[in-house]
Amino acid sequence: MKTNLIQAYQTGNSPILQKYKSDKAAKDFDINKELSTHTFIKPLPGNGHLVKTNIFDIPSELFKDFKYSLNSVKHAITGDANDHELGKINDVGMKLGGLAIAGYLATRKQTPLTKVMEFVGLTSFFAAMDIWPKLALQLPAYLIHGVDVRQQYVDNYGRKKFFYQDHQFIPWDLYSDDEINKIGDRLGVDKNMKNRRAYIQEKMRKIALQNNTMWMLTSGIATPILSALICNAAEKPILRLQEKMAAQKANDLLKNVTQESQKYKFKDENKQLEALLETYKGKNITPEFIEKLSANLSEWYDIGTRAKLKQDLTNLFGNKNYNVDDEVLGNVYSALKDEFKKFKLDDEIINQIMPSKDEIKTSFIERGLLTEGIKDLSEHKKAINSLITRNVKTYAQNNPNSSVNNILNMYIKNLMHSKNKTDFSPLEKALRSNQSAKLTDGIISQIHSINTLMHGFISRVFVLDKYAYIRAAQAPETMLADNWNNITESLLKTFNFTDSEIKKSRLDRTFAGDILKEKFEKIVSDDELYKQTIEDLRKKLSELPTENVFGQESEQLKIGNAKYQSMVDDVFNAMGKKLSELGLDSTAAAVSGYDDSGRTSLKGIQKNFLTDRIRGVKSSFYRILNTLDFYRRVHEGMNFNSQTFKYLDDVSKKELLDLCKKTLIDGHLSDYSVKLYSKRSLDHLANTADKDLVELANDKNFFKAFMEIIYNEELNSKTLEGIKDTVFGSDFARYREDIFKFLGGYEYFPKRFHKVFDYEVKSGSDFKFNLLGSSLDEMFNNLCKQKFNSTKWLKTFGTIGAVLTAGTVLSQFFFGKLPGKENS
Amino acid sequence: MILPINIKFNDKTPKFYGEESGKKPDEMYDGDTLLENNFSTRARIGVDKITKAFTVYPVKGMTGSINSNFYEFLTMGNVPYIIGSITLMSIFNAYKSYAHRDKLRASQLGNKMALGVLFYGLFKEFSKNFIDKPVKWFTGIDTQIPYARVIHQLQQSPQDSDLTSIEYHKIGESVDFTRWDLLYKKTGTPEHNLIFDKIAKKNGLGENLNDSDQEVKPIYKEVLIKSNLARTISSYLWAAVGVGLAFQNSWKHYFKVMNFKIWQPKVFAHSIKIFGKSALKATESFLNGKEKSKSIAGKHSGKILLGTALASTILGLANTLHITKKPSKSNIKSVMNDKKETVVC
Repeated sequence: MKTNLIQAYQTGNSPILQKYKSDKAAKDFDINKELSTHTFIKPLPGNGHLVKTNIFDIPSELFKDFKYSLNSVKHAITGDANDHELGKINDVGMKLGGLAIAGYLATRKQTPLTKVMEFVGLTSFFAAMDIWPKLALQLPAYLIHGVDVRQQYVDNYGRKKFFYQDHQFIPWDLYSDDEINKIGDRLGVDKNMKNRRAYIQEKMRKIALQNNTMWMLTSGIATPILSALICNAAEKPILRLQEKMAAQKANDLLKNVTQESQKYKFKDENKQLEALLETYKGKNITPEFIEKLSANLSEWYDIGTRAKLKQDLTNLFGNKNYNVDDEVLGNVYSALKDEFKKFKLDDEIINQIMPSKDEIKTSFIERGLLTEGIKDLSEHKKAINSLITRNVKTYAQNNPNSSVNNILNMYIKNLMHSKNKTDFSPLEKALRSNQSAKLTDGIISQIHSINTLMHGFISRVFVLDKYAYIRAAQAPETMLADNWNNITESLLKTFNFTDSEIKKSRLDRTFAGDILKEKFEKIVSDDELYKQTIEDLRKKLSELPTENVFGQESEQLKIGNAKYQSMVDDVFNAMGKKLSELGLDSTAAAVSGYDDSGRTSLKGIQKNFLTDRIRGVKSSFYRILNTLDFYRRVHEGMNFNSQTFKYLDDVSKKELLDLCKKTLIDGHLSDYSVKLYSKRSLDHLANTADKDLVELANDKNFFKAFMEIIYNEELNSKTLEGIKDTVFGSDFARYREDIFKFLGGYEYFPKRFHKVFDYEVKSGSDFKFNLLGSSLDEMFNNLCKQKFNSTKWLKTFGTIGAVLTAGTVLSQFFFGKLPGKENS
Repeated sequence: MILPINIKFNDKTPKFYGEESGKKPDEMYDGDTLLENNFSTRARIGVDKITKAFTVYPVKGMTGSINSNFYEFLTMGNVPYIIGSITLMSIFNAYKSYAHRDKLRASQLGNKMALGVLFYGLFKEFSKNFIDKPVKWFTGIDTQIPYARVIHQLQQSPQDSDLTSIEYHKIGESVDFTRWDLLYKKTGTPEHNLIFDKIAKKNGLGENLNDSDQEVKPIYKEVLIKSNLARTISSYLWAAVGVGLAFQNSWKHYFKVMNFKIWQPKVFAHSIKIFGKSALKATESFLNGKEKSKSIAGKHSGKILLGTALASTILGLANTLHITKKPSKSNIKSVMNDKKETVVC
């Protein structure tokens, strides 16, 4: 507890009083006399001091502030806090609220980056609040005037405050004469001025007040803008860091698939399974039970595998023997009744021809059909049939003129047989309602084994899925997305898009396509420029993942991907084998396929996910290179080896080349699938034998020539030179071959996995789509849109921020002016 | 000999003026004056503060006036709050020059951001009542009583004639220097301690106390501190709830029909109706979380956030109402031991 200043006077032995009695005090100073006359009451010298910290003190200062804030909360809880501490609680609350907002919004975001950015946003906001007055006010004021306008001091009670916080109470005594004079010198105050200290203090006060006011007026604009700019700048480094972490995480996942898979417990499913087994234990295995069981065991599987498992379980546990008892008889009777209703006959007729429950029972007893473990139910159907036939005959005899006599026999037929050959009739279903197989302990044990197997496998698949997601999913934080972003970001620079071109291209893909075409033509007509562009593309494309390799940058990833493929093989094949051993052959085939390739199975999907995703991305970039190369070849003259092309007349050649150039930029898969179906110029065909062939689809040579000259010709020598010895060279060559083969040849037409000329076609429409890649006009339209929007945003707020900063800094030159002649 | 220090209080009895005095607000304060804590006063003070924060105080500050003080600096704190909110809204709504589709997508986020900023302020301010009102009901202590403070400024030039300025403070805004003096009624009258009497009675200290003020002051101070803590922390958490609500997708229905043209009553009424519906749906989705989310955070984050805000309010309130600084019931007899010799000096 601090000493009461007045009491300190009254205590004769106080060290403070001793100080006044020391030699340093005025010799004629008598405190008692002074006090008794009431003429002089002056506070004792305080313990306050200016805070003088440097950059190295920041951590300890932060810690002290944090501790002080915690103590403030503690004191406030007990009701002992003071004003200063309550002020600190506001900071605590603001940060707590900010964390709550960031935390909540992060839970609503999908990707790790966007989650992290919520907290970055919060931190940057608080940072901006702190940085702005320091950089735009405190620093310039110090450099220009030599006055620290955000000087802090610690008061008698250890409370840290801003020196110029309250202009009606500035503790000037904390500044020594020397310090004030030094500041005065910087301020250019006359050294011989009377009351120099007071004058300097007034100038300092004024500068500080003006800066404080400026702070309040500007921070409302500066803080959000600065915060947004910090977030903008922070996004990329965070993404890079996150990518590294994600790559590490992916590799760890692959290394420890078994360990990772054990994290999945399937508690709910196991609980439900036990409840189901408990309910049915010792009872008949009914179709309903099989349905519930397969649904439980295959909860996390795809619909195809679920169906196969159900089929296998039915074959395994649901034997074909049935019991026929009173309950079944009841079901049969109800089914008959429902069926008769559908005939829409009069109740009177139905009552006459429909056998009663007792009649059916008697008939079954007479024929020895009311028993258990029956495999064949045809006798039961015959018994019922004969009863109805007898009744129908009786009815016909009694009512020879009835209009329904002729159709009753047909009704009986419908009653006995289902219209749908794959399903049982309602009557048969009723007869089969009591399956004789029971859920024994042995079967329960078997079910437990299947359950362990199914969960063990799917949890491994979850781990593999995680790996595949991190590597190549359609999400902004994957490595593949990073490849895409890195390359596309530089493309506008590579093709030298100006601001006005970006502005125009963002509006529509047609504009983007036209501009791109002009650019390509310009580039290919300039040797140096072409060489440079190919070099730029080479550098970028080298970062692309090839068939089984994720670019050249990481050997670790290369191994990782190959390991993923073999891991998928191991996990899925092992599962297939174990399923077969348990007698679940159909499920095994659904999981691992019929042969090693596993093409039609879950394994195929798991493996293809990565390769398909990678193919889609790299094809888009290969398309740029191929287009550029084609433009170059056209520029160097139409020396194509294609015989089909050579046979075309000059006008058609020109027409074809135009179409090639255009399609390479804006063509979609549909353009290839309709063989560039479009009207051609009629004029030059008028005198030829092909005059009726006005549509490209009918001109077989036109499309053939198109594919040959684009994809089947040698690359231009300059292109070849530019990309030789690159990691993607052979992959690019295969890309061209594949397009020629799968988009231009006969293989284009058959369905996937069908055989043509004894050769199995592997290309599906998804494969073709991925192979062709994104159309260049759309790609550049999107790139320009992004570029324009982000540049516009940055320009708008960057300018506002820059103007505000400049204005704030410049305003220092108008601060601290006192009326009158300053140096007098 | 140490003489007692004779502190000379200003003899002038504070003058209180009611509304019936008919004077204009700025003219009616001869001295610091207690004001009624009602909506009208609060609104008037709010308008006064905001107006001056944007006009008088910046001018005084920028000219380096010797009369600028901490109150003016704090009041100017409203400026970055308001301008900052507008800037924040603008940052996320600066899409005028974007292509149509981009504009549409940006506007969806921009609108949410703007609503978030608005809800932040509204929830923060309104939630303070969750503490202030119950505290007043249970303890009789109104922690938010405003008073007008008359400031006699220094003359800066011979032409300065209007040297009085009015500041609006709250009795309990400082726990170290609470304006107890304003809580007393007219000196020498039975009502002198009226406010303290009422609080003493409400808190079970008894009636007709000789020194109800002395008994009540520790309690009053404790309530001021504790309610300040509860109000501050909980209001920021309620503000977070407001932002959470504003970020629900259901607001998109409202954004489609959003209209502020009061002079078109039909359109405006429809807009308000959809606002209500969207608010209900937003509350629902805020509480239920993301439908397909497997994580606890994804499913229950809304409930957790609301629960935290509620808990902070309830705990803060409970702590405030749990008064520990009531004077002891001990009387003089128990303190003084008759059997022992006692020296009274």
